Amino acid sequence: MMNYFPDEVIEHIFDYVVSHRDRNALSLVCKSWYRIERCTRQRVFIGNCYSITPERLIQRFPGLKSLTLKGKPHFADFSLVPYGWGGFVYPWIEALAKRRVGLEELRLKRMVVSDESLELLSRSFTNFKSLVLVSCEGFTTDGLAAVAANCRYLRELDLQENEVEDHKGQWLSCFPDSCTSLVSLNFACLKGEVSLGALERLVARSPNLKSLKLNRSVPLDALQRILTRAPQLADLGIGSLVHDPESEAYIKLKNTILKCKSITSLSGLLEVAPHCLAAIYPICPNLTSLNLSYAAGIQGSDLIKLIRHCVKLQRLWIMDCIGDKGLGVVAQTCTDLQELRVFPSVPFGNPAANVTEVGLVAISMGCPKLHSLLYFCHQMTNAALITVAKNCPNFIRFRLCILDATKPDPDTMQPLDEGFGAIVQSCRRLRRLSLSGQLTDQVFLYIGMYAEKLEMLSIAFAGDSDKGMLYVLNGCKKLRKLEIRDCPFGDMALLTDVGKYETMRSLWMSSCEVTVGACKLLAKKMPRLNVEIFNENEQEDCSLEDGQRVEKMYLYRTLAGKRKDAPEYVWTL
Amino acid sequence: MGTLEQIDVPHTQSSSSSSSSIDSNNHPSRTPPPSSPSSSVCRKRTDLSTDLRLGLSISPSSQSQPPFNSTPREESFNWPPIKSILRSTLVGKQSHLSQRPSLFVKVYMEGIPIGRKLNLMAHYSYDGLVKTLGHMFRTTILCPNSQPLNSGNFHVLTYEDQEGDWMMVGDVPWEMFLNSVKRLKITRADRC
Repeated sequence: MMNYFPDEVIEHIFDYVVSHRDRNALSLVCKSWYRIERCTRQRVFIGNCYSITPERLIQRFPGLKSLTLKGKPHFADFSLVPYGWGGFVYPWIEALAKRRVGLEELRLKRMVVSDESLELLSRSFTNFKSLVLVSCEGFTTDGLAAVAANCRYLRELDLQENEVEDHKGQWLSCFPDSCTSLVSLNFACLKGEVSLGALERLVARSPNLKSLKLNRSVPLDALQRILTRAPQLADLGIGSLVHDPESEAYIKLKNTILKCKSITSLSGLLEVAPHCLAAIYPICPNLTSLNLSYAAGIQGSDLIKLIRHCVKLQRLWIMDCIGDKGLGVVAQTCTDLQELRVFPSVPFGNPAANVTEVGLVAISMGCPKLHSLLYFCHQMTNAALITVAKNCPNFIRFRLCILDATKPDPDTMQPLDEGFGAIVQSCRRLRRLSLSGQLTDQVFLYIGMYAEKLEMLSIAFAGDSDKGMLYVLNGCKKLRKLEIRDCPFGDMALLTDVGKYETMRSLWMSSCEVTVGACKLLAKKMPRLNVEIFNENEQEDCSLEDGQRVEKMYLYRTLAGKRKDAPEYVWTL
Repeated sequence: MGTLEQIDVPHTQSSSSSSSSIDSNNHPSRTPPPSSPSSSVCRKRTDLSTDLRLGLSISPSSQSQPPFNSTPREESFNWPPIKSILRSTLVGKQSHLSQRPSLFVKVYMEGIPIGRKLNLMAHYSYDGLVKTLGHMFRTTILCPNSQPLNSGNFHVLTYEDQEGDWMMVGDVPWEMFLNSVKRLKITRADRC
């Protein structure tokens, strides 16, 4: 029936179909739908920038307005990917500029962004509105200055956890007076100072500003002045909250904050004097999101005092110095909690800053709506995981990291197979899972059997044999990303089902038992996979012998063939 | 500065694979990551000026602090999996968490034999100090340059410095004051 409608009608219907997966599905129905879909598509998501060439993208979607690109593998976040691996955005911007694509929005994650590419971006797309950079590197404040100066209709500049070199060039002052369109500005990750006057003037002329995240160089008195000019803010990131609690500036801030009724999301507190926390108590009851993962200056007792005010919280990112007791308070107070992340306050563990299974069980009892968890802890028990699985069957993301990576259940000295087994059996909607603790092949048997919706799995120091990996590859039909480190999985596991990898985005294996020969064989059998081996040996003349163990391997499906920008240590087989 | 941790990492044998693999790099087959530190953890005692820098500076500089020391083996382990930008924030802040700097000094008020003790590090300026002392001793403490209308129930704040001299509080920058103060005395305004 649909084929009898004119194209305009079908286009109009397609306007209501928004998600990437649904749009992809539309394009597969028939040739005319493919054609209509590609011409009307405005937003494209590319999970691996090397899976396709920019030219091919532009050819298919000439009306592209918004592009999301991801570069390096996830384990790059933990320094497992050596410098220079790749993920350069410049060729993309160059190609889009050359074809005069009307780009308005660019969202990048784990990519290398040079100042040059930012400058080209700022000059090439007159309607450019939104730049979001997450965990990127390679640029300096000079690049930001170009974006500020040239993007006349900029609405969003969102820098999340990037490594940015500070060139002290007053980039913030480069926003022209005519720029009044800002809705979101986040420069919390920048280390250097900004011109406070320029910042205040910018805020004053941005009536639509809803989200502002400052870096640690913005002091308390400047914060107060900014807040008076932006009472409409909904999302605030505080840089520095350090001042004498008796001082005029602090008292002024307290009064100003009382007027900020719209703030529902709070983050930062990068520098904080504990007495000053009381200033933010008035906004706590309105908060739905609180991110204190960088607030290393706050002690557990002060965190607890703060949390008691946050009754509406849905998302909480916090450090483990809140302790099990503090998590108990969270469980009592934040009954609407959906997402929780607990980060380690001391990387190698500090018994004083302690969260264990006790805290997690308390949370599971008090927060039935919990669906996303990232939990760094000292220990975990099977009993606790089984209880959590029963209390919270709605988990979509469940990531557990025990600081002592191969620690068994301390009560029974057993591996944590049963506990994680309970999680996957109970949480039928689970899409992402990270394991830790002592684990045998058994846990993978459970995962293969029950985790039907699982899309991403991260494994470290787990398993006994190839069977473990095979259970997962065979069982998890929806698996897209698998990343493995320090596990005894070898060639047999790698090669048993080579076709599987074309159904996935990528596979990472490091410090496992896979050999060069097996990787070569895999690459030969599957021409549409790029199989990359990282050879970080200093010796130049070492050739890869088949029997040699591979330290790091990253493979991904691609239509672009072997990439041309790989550094010397990357061997694409 | 932070902690210096010595962690013993047991090296397991890499003999389990059946193929005659030529393992040209030195990585052991699968070494468990460092567990909680078993050997001694020693914390360097820093002088007050370092504590001041840590407690008062906006961005903790590492001038007098040795860098966070870990064995190369630990660093190559990359565990736990936290983003490097978060890790560097934590390492810089470790000393804040393990021990907040404090500086308790004795405070006497003229005419009262029993003194009090006060943590100077809990304040960030003379303003706050004077107000706290005013509450503590139930009096009004004047700034050095102001003239009282009548010298009734007013006091001024003095301190003994490292050289044993008694000085008026408020003339030097706050940080310099913290470095030189030994104890405080509240004396009657009409005496000075």
